[in-house]
Amino acid sequence: MPELGRNLRYVAAALRVSVLAALEYRVGFWTEAVLGVIWSLAGAAPLVVALEHRPDIAGWTPWEVVLLSGFYLIFAGAFGALIEPPLFETMNHIRRGTLDYVLLRPVDSLLACMVSAFQPWRSLEMLAGAALVVVAALRLELRPGPEQLAMLAGALACGFTALYALGVLALSLSFRAMQLQNLAFLMESSIELARWPISVFRGPLKAVFTFVIPFAVMTSYPAQALLGRLDLGAAVGALVTAAALAGLARVGWARGVKNYTSASS
Amino acid sequence: MSLGPKLGALWRLGVAEATAYRASLLVWVLTTALPLVSLVLWHALAADGPIADYDQRAFDSYFVAAFLVRQLTATWIVWDLDRQIRTGELNALLMRPVSPVLHHAMFNLAAMPLRAGLAAPVAALVLIATGGMSLADSASSWLLFVPALILAWLLAFSIQLCIACLAFWLTRASDLYDLWISAYIVLAGYLVPTSLFPSGFGEVARALPFHATLGFPVELLIGRLDTAEALTGIGIQLAWLALFMTLGAWLWRRGLRAYGAFGA
Repeated sequence: MPELGRNLRYVAAALRVSVLAALEYRVGFWTEAVLGVIWSLAGAAPLVVALEHRPDIAGWTPWEVVLLSGFYLIFAGAFGALIEPPLFETMNHIRRGTLDYVLLRPVDSLLACMVSAFQPWRSLEMLAGAALVVVAALRLELRPGPEQLAMLAGALACGFTALYALGVLALSLSFRAMQLQNLAFLMESSIELARWPISVFRGPLKAVFTFVIPFAVMTSYPAQALLGRLDLGAAVGALVTAAALAGLARVGWARGVKNYTSASS
Repeated sequence: MSLGPKLGALWRLGVAEATAYRASLLVWVLTTALPLVSLVLWHALAADGPIADYDQRAFDSYFVAAFLVRQLTATWIVWDLDRQIRTGELNALLMRPVSPVLHHAMFNLAAMPLRAGLAAPVAALVLIATGGMSLADSASSWLLFVPALILAWLLAFSIQLCIACLAFWLTRASDLYDLWISAYIVLAGYLVPTSLFPSGFGEVARALPFHATLGFPVELLIGRLDTAEALTGIGIQLAWLALFMTLGAWLWRRGLRAYGAFGA
């Protein structure tokens, strides 16, 4: 498939450009990478406060919460490094009418937009998250078997798909009205909720955060998979949610691009 | 023409702009609705008994008040001014007979009524769901709440002005404000009341400007502070405000000189 090869080469080239640009501004290592990790950890203050007053948070012991926080860092870092920058870049293109230049490229339009910018320094947060997961897993003396690791991989894949799909949906809405460009900020601030175990939420909010804006799939499910507490029903639910969101995002994007009128037309 | 009619004109412009971009304003209100989710979280956590001196109703009151105070202290001069300095749009504002700082202050304030109007139904829905909130019952708390809220807005505005002025020398000052916001979210009492922090850490947090712009007016509004504590809080607000206003004025004057140097 020559098309796939071309798309992959395009992604590699876009990544290389972003990395080179980031290496030019090495001060970004301090302002974005290090401070980003510090503040993401500081954002766990409410969890620490809750554990000061309670032995566990909705059934999650302190080290299990650390495990959860590791997965949170991975997803928050992925959002900051890979998803938020292209969202802002593309929204800028839409606003200024310069999206034409991106749409003209000989690759898939959505792909071209979603790799239009990266913040490589922010990916350090993902590494810190992975380290936190390993430390917590060692502390909890987890010995995940192949079945649990498969569940983990599945949950992570579903979580990333869902996060990307939500980003694309926000982007598709911004075609409709320039005013909706701050949806990316709304996403950024609500991702904070993924820090908490899904079992804290009750009733309709629990359903929303499991199936509509599936923060549970991003952080709670991977942690539960490692702990051997993720049942098959939930895993299938995650798969269906991620697939549905991805489909919706694809349709939303197609309609968005169709409605797009460049600056002069 | 004296200042009054000019400010009136700016106010009307600001109201018109806010009304034109009402969908955008609604998304901003939702973006700052994090306290309402904190409410759900802490309400659930306090289900089997109070956490320190906060029971479920106290958490409900705290976070609904935090949501409202957050709306009433909203300002966004840092993004507008940062962009205007970077792109040179500031030139047009400098030609006008009113200082650009006052221009932004009036625009930000003019959006307040509509913003409050959009936020009120959200807060009302939450109050219906949770069964109400407890407010301060002493007259002195209410009397002090008004200046505390005004000072909180002024403080938030001057802090943003200071950071925005750094754009005269740096390429993107709003990135620095992102750092400030991260600290604010943790330390202002936005996600958890600062009085629940471990002792020592809590006292430090309560003396910082973050808490002065949010946590302090909130605690005053729900009646958790006696008169002496309230007066101390207003003293802290005044001290930070004096500092940031002086700094802001200085940066603005120095910055305009630097701006003229490469803009002219």
